[in-house]
Amino acid sequence: MNLNADSTVPIYIQIAEWIENEILADRLTADSKVYSQYQLAEMFNINPATAGKGLTILLENNILYKRRGLGMFVQEAAKKQIIERRRDEKLTILANEIVIEAKRLFVSDEELIELIKKVQKGC
Amino acid sequence: MAIVCTDVYKKYRSHEALKGMSFTIEEDKITGLIGRNGAGKSTLLKILAGHLRSTSGEVLLYGEQPFNNLKVSSNLVFVEDTMSFSPIFKLDEIFQIAKDFYPNWQDDLARKLLEYADISDKNYHHKLSKGQKSTFNLIYGLATRCKITLLDEPMNGMDEAIRSDMYRAILKEYITFPRTIIISSHHLQEIEHLIEDVLLINQGQVTLHAPLEDVKGLLVKLVGNSEMINEWINSSEIYYEKNSQINGEAIVETTSITSLKNELIAKGITIQPISASEVCKYLTSQRKGGIDDVFK
Repeated sequence: MNLNADSTVPIYIQIAEWIENEILADRLTADSKVYSQYQLAEMFNINPATAGKGLTILLENNILYKRRGLGMFVQEAAKKQIIERRRDEKLTILANEIVIEAKRLFVSDEELIELIKKVQKGC
Repeated sequence: MAIVCTDVYKKYRSHEALKGMSFTIEEDKITGLIGRNGAGKSTLLKILAGHLRSTSGEVLLYGEQPFNNLKVSSNLVFVEDTMSFSPIFKLDEIFQIAKDFYPNWQDDLARKLLEYADISDKNYHHKLSKGQKSTFNLIYGLATRCKITLLDEPMNGMDEAIRSDMYRAILKEYITFPRTIIISSHHLQEIEHLIEDVLLINQGQVTLHAPLEDVKGLLVKLVGNSEMINEWINSSEIYYEKNSQINGEAIVETTSITSLKNELIAKGITIQPISASEVCKYLTSQRKGGIDDVFK
């Protein structure tokens, strides 16, 4: 995977997302060991502290757990959690966009809901 | 703290290179020393390395001041353009001498890296090309494994191919044997992936000392109708603006627009991220307008 240095998304978050993708693809399964910050640093050619930040985020979000002296491992419920969270996030972003665009085009709230219902029926 | 600077001044007869610099650098971090030409980067590094004395203020490296200090010299390496070695020794002899002086000297690594760079160790330092000198100096600096490693624009003169290899070599060596590294550059984008913190200096003073992601998120670019932009943003908060026939652009602090995001988007103003390198540029620039203003 290539890191996008220009993106708004900080590198450590891109690392966290990459690990989450590995979990979603079942390349990292429940209770398996994940790469250390040093391994990630070498793989992605970045500072180990940055890689470490990515791991810490996943630890805080309960995607990974730490075993002292042994490293970081994938939580059992990790995959499920990732799917749920991404669903919510993505939909929230899209919802925001549609509401703003509707306002810009002077579409009322009721009209917007009608439109969504129409689309749901159609699919 | 590996490095502590308190109120450091360096005055020359004609000008003041450093005007009250204070900062601390934690052990084993890689810090990027960023600033425009003439900001004071080399002067600061020379003082840290003990090559120059500050006019006033305190500089402590692991609690010791660096000027004329053997303890500091054997634990510090300063890689820079004018780094010189005795002209009577061949490169392999220079390595031999280094082995005796530096307790952690990595002989095998030095020779292998030199070979990789296609530089013969039977050559003489003063006979190397500019790029080869930079390459040799950096290899030497990495091989010393000094607890404090100062790199002043180490890639100067190196061609593209070997540059990325050398950045990779720095990272690999750092992972294997962590050390406090300061690498100065006026091209932040080149060293972004390597560094942890940014120490941004301008006209002899510290403008900012923060982790890289924090620097990146400091400023954003607003693109849209210039009147609209000015309507929403205080002109004092604008770091840079440009008005062309196509649209207006303004660089502002991220914090000044977080609460206004939705309104701005509704008015057709887009909010774009900018690179950490551009943030540093705008934070250290004197003027609010760009080069186009000169041609008006």
